[in-house]
Amino acid sequence: MRWFARRLAFYVFAIWVALTINFLLPRLMPGSPLGGLLQHLTPSQLSANPGIVQTYEALLGGGHHSIWQDYVTYLHRIAHFDFGISTSNYPTPVSEVVGRTLPYSMFLVGVAFLLAFLVGTGIGMVAAWRRGGAVDSVFVPVFMVLSAFPAFFTALLGLYLFGLKLHWFPIQHAYDNGVIPGFNWAFLSSALRHSELPILVVVCAYAGGWVLNMRTVMITTIGEDYVTMAHAKGLRDRRVMTRYAGRNAILPPLNGFAALFASAVGGLVFVEFIFSYPGAGYTLQQAVLGNDYALAQAILVVLSVCVILANLIMDVLNLVLDPRLRTG
Amino acid sequence: MTALAEEPAVRRTSRKALLELRQLAVEYGSGARGVRAVDGVDLEIREGEVVGLAGESGCGKTTVANAVLQILRPPARIVGGSVLYQGEDLVGKKPEELRRFRWRNVSMVFQSAMNALNPVMRVGDQFVDAMRAHERIDRRRALARAGELLELVGIDRRRVRAYPHELSGGMRQRVIIAMALSLNPDLVILDEPTTALDVVVQREILQQVEALRRDFGFAVLFITHDLSLLLEFADRIAIMYAGELVETAPAERLGTNPRHPYTQRLLQSFPPLSGPLERLSGIPGSPPDLSDPPSGCRFHPRCPHCGPERPELYGRQTTERPVLREVEPGHRVACHLVEEEEEVA
Amino acid sequence: MSQLDPTIDLPLAAPPRRVRGRIRVPGWVALLLRNRKSRAGLCMVLFMVLVALVAPLISVAHPNDFNLLAARQAPSWHHLFGTTDQGSDIFSQVVLGARRSLLLGAAAGILATGVAAILGITAAYSGGLVDEGVNFLTNVFLTIPPIPLLVVASGYLKSRGMVTMAVVLALVLWAFEARILRGQALSLKSRDFILAAKASGESTPRIVFGELMPNMISRIAAAFVLVFYIALLTDAGLEFLGLGDMTKTSWGVTLYWAQTNSTVLQGEWWPFFFPGAALAFTVLGLVLLLAGIDEVSNPRLRTERPERRRLLAALVGGRLVARAEASA
Repeated sequence: MRWFARRLAFYVFAIWVALTINFLLPRLMPGSPLGGLLQHLTPSQLSANPGIVQTYEALLGGGHHSIWQDYVTYLHRIAHFDFGISTSNYPTPVSEVVGRTLPYSMFLVGVAFLLAFLVGTGIGMVAAWRRGGAVDSVFVPVFMVLSAFPAFFTALLGLYLFGLKLHWFPIQHAYDNGVIPGFNWAFLSSALRHSELPILVVVCAYAGGWVLNMRTVMITTIGEDYVTMAHAKGLRDRRVMTRYAGRNAILPPLNGFAALFASAVGGLVFVEFIFSYPGAGYTLQQAVLGNDYALAQAILVVLSVCVILANLIMDVLNLVLDPRLRTG
Repeated sequence: MTALAEEPAVRRTSRKALLELRQLAVEYGSGARGVRAVDGVDLEIREGEVVGLAGESGCGKTTVANAVLQILRPPARIVGGSVLYQGEDLVGKKPEELRRFRWRNVSMVFQSAMNALNPVMRVGDQFVDAMRAHERIDRRRALARAGELLELVGIDRRRVRAYPHELSGGMRQRVIIAMALSLNPDLVILDEPTTALDVVVQREILQQVEALRRDFGFAVLFITHDLSLLLEFADRIAIMYAGELVETAPAERLGTNPRHPYTQRLLQSFPPLSGPLERLSGIPGSPPDLSDPPSGCRFHPRCPHCGPERPELYGRQTTERPVLREVEPGHRVACHLVEEEEEVA
Repeated sequence: MSQLDPTIDLPLAAPPRRVRGRIRVPGWVALLLRNRKSRAGLCMVLFMVLVALVAPLISVAHPNDFNLLAARQAPSWHHLFGTTDQGSDIFSQVVLGARRSLLLGAAAGILATGVAAILGITAAYSGGLVDEGVNFLTNVFLTIPPIPLLVVASGYLKSRGMVTMAVVLALVLWAFEARILRGQALSLKSRDFILAAKASGESTPRIVFGELMPNMISRIAAAFVLVFYIALLTDAGLEFLGLGDMTKTSWGVTLYWAQTNSTVLQGEWWPFFFPGAALAFTVLGLVLLLAGIDEVSNPRLRTERPERRRLLAALVGGRLVARAEASA
C-alpha cells in the first residue's frame, strides 16, 4: 500500500509539473508573451474578434503583475476549470469546447489502446511460446513493419484502401451528416461506424510495440524454473502458457504502459486530423494553427491528466496482478 | 492420507526395475554447432531405491533429469537411446500420454526453491493445478489435500493461502517437496534440492525426505554435486563427467573403494560429514567444453594418471573411449587404467 | 539450473582496446554486421543517406517548381512519383526532402542522447538523491504526452528553423533514453572495474566520462538509434500537422500539403504514399538495426528456428532459403 501512496503522490506532482510547463511555455519564448502571441494573428483576425486581446491577457495572467502573482492566479483558475475563452470559437468558454470534444477522443483512444494491448500481448505470448511457428513467422514481422510505419502513414493508407477504394468504412467525421448528437440509437450506431476505421488504424499502429515487448519478455520467462516445473507437473500446454509463463511475462510490459499510452495519445492527434474526427487531438491541431492558445493549453492539460489517470488505472491493475507489490 | 501411505515395506525390498536409461544421448542445437550434453548414459533405478547422480555443474545431470520427465525444451532434444519406464519407452510417446505420465508417475523437486514456484499464484492453487491436471477432484477437496500435504512436511496448513514470496527459502523447498508427493508418484527426482539453503536447513530437509520415503515407498533419483550427501543418503551412486557416466557403485563401495580417478578426486574435494578431518584437494583444470570434447577418455586432460611415460596406455587414453566395465558385483567403471589393473590382477 | 546454455557471453562491456591512441573497430560492430536483421537495417538506412547525399544530382526539378498544366499527374516515366496539385515533381521533393528530414532527426537524436547519457549515467552512478531526482523528472516527462506538448510548444515558436526544432524535439524526447541508459548503467556500476576506479579515489565525472561511458558506447549507440527514429517520426508528424517550417522541403511538408489539399479524398494516393513510404522505409531500417542489436546482446532471442525455415521454404520455395542459410 505504501507503494501505491507513493505512486499517487507522484501523479499529483506530475500534474503540477505539467501545469507549470504549460504556464511557462509562452513565457519562455523570447520577447513579451502577449506580443509574441499577437504577432501570429492577422489584422483581420484581430478585428473579427474584439475580445481576443483580453483573452490572451487573461491567459497570461493579466500581464500587469509579477510572474509569481500570475502563476498563483493561473493555478487558481485551473483549479476552477476556468481556462478562459476560446478565440476560435468566440465567445464559447474553452471548458465547453473541451467538454464537447473529449468524449470522442476518450472513446477512440480508450477502446483502441485496450484492443492494441490485448491483441499485441496475445500475439507476443503465442509467438514466443511457439518460436518459429505460424504466429511467430507471420504476425510478428507484419506487426514489426506496421509499428515502424508512422501512425499518420498507416492512417492515410487505411483511409485510402479501406475507406476510399473498398468502401468498407465511412472515412470522415465522427457521425453521419444530419444526425444530431445525443443518447439515441441513430447517433450511437453512426458514431460507432465512424470510429471503426480510426480504431483499426490505432490498433495497427500500436499493437506492434506490445507484440515485440511481450515476445521478448516471454522468451525470458519461458526459461524460468516455475514454467519448467508447471510443465513437469503435467499441466496442459495452454495452461502453462497462460497461467504460468504469460501471467508473469505480462508484468514488465505493463510498466512500459505509461510511455506507450502517452505516445498513443500523440498518435490520436494525427488520426483525428486525417479523419477530421472532432476529438481533442484534431481540436488541438486546429487551435494551434488558429492561434487559439487558451484552447490549446487546456487540451494539453486535459490530455496530460488523462494519461496520468490511465496510469493510475494501470497501477491498480498491477497491484491486482502482482501479489509481491501488495505486501512490499 | 491413509490412501497415500500404502504398504511401503513390500515395495522397498522389491528389485524390479522402475526406470532404465539406455544409451541416452541429448544434444543442444544441431549440426556442427550441436553440443552433446548427455552421451550414452545407462542408468537403472529400482522400485523404492535411492540412486545418487553426482558430478560438477554443467556435466549434464539436470539434462538427464529433464530427459526422464521428457521436458527438454528446444534447442535440447533426445538424439538417441531410450528412457524405459516400467519397460515402456517414453521417447516418441504422444504429448498427451507424456503429460499424463508426468508428476503422476515421476515428479521432480527443482533446483532453486526461489524460482520453481509461480510467484503470482497462491501456493494452494499450485497444488490444485497439479492435482486437477491428472484427476477429477473439486477445488475444495484439492485444497484440503494440499493442506494435509503441507502438514506432512511441517508447514501450517493455512499456508495454502500464502504467495511464494511470503515463505522462507526452506519453506518453499518443503512446499515443492509436498507438491512432488501430491499424486503419490513412484519416483521423485531431487535436482540439487538443497544447494540454495544453509547447511542446517539442508540436513533437516533431507532427513524429512528420507522419512517420507520410508512412509510412501517412492524411489529417489538424487542429483547433486555434493558427493558427501549422497554417501549418506543414497543406496547406489553414479558419477557423471562431461556427459558420460564414469562410475556406478553401491554407496558404501564407492565411499570406501572409488576406482575412477575422477571419483577419487571428487571424494577428496569434500569434507566428510562424519569421521576424521582430512586434507581437502580440488581437481586441477576445468570441465571440458562439450562442443569440442577431448578425444578418447574425456577426463584425460585432467587425469593425474595420464601421461606419456606409459606410451601404450597413453595412446588408448587419448584416442579410445573407455566403456563401463564391471569390476565387482554392482560396481562398474569406465577407465583404461582400471581396466589394465583388472587385467593384471 | 545448471543446464547447458549454448550461448555466447558477448564482450559488450569489455573496455575498448586502444591501439596507439586509435580505437579499433569494436567487436560489437563486427557482430552487428554478422546479424541478419541489423545488416538489412543498416543497408536500408545507408541507402537513404546515400539518396539524401546525391539528391541534387538525381532530382529532376526544383522541388517547389510548379506547373499547373502538369498538376495531379499519376506516376509516369516523366514524373516517377507523380506530381502534386500544384504540378511539383514529387520524386524531387522526396529525394531532396530526405536531407532535411534525416538531418533534423539525427540532430535531435544526438542532442537527446547527449542529455540522456549524461543525466542517466550520472544519476545511476551517483545514486541517492541525484538518482531519485533524475528518475522522478524522467518519469514526469514520460507521463506528459510528447506530441501534444510539442504541438503546443511549436505554436509558440517564432521561428521553426532546423536548430530550434532539433532543440525542442531533444528537450521532449530525452526521457525515453535516459530511463534506458540509467537502467543499464545501474547494472554496470557494480562491476569490478568501476569499483576499482572508485576505490582508487577517482572523481565522479572521471568515472562517469572515463570509465562508464566508454564501456556503454554500444548501449548508447543503440539508444541513439531508438531516439533517432522517434525524432524522425515526431518531426515528420509535426510538419504533417503544419507545425514545421512550411517553406522548406521535407517528407513531412510534402505530406502536409497532400493532406491539406485533400488529395487523398480525391483518390490521389501518390502525394502521400511516396514521402510516407520513404519515412517508413527509413524507420523500418532503424527498427531492424535495433532488433539486431537486441539479438546480439540478448542471445536468448536468437536460437535455431528450424520451424520458421520450413515455413519459409513452403512460402517462397527452397532455393531462397538455402541461400539465406548459407549466408547466415
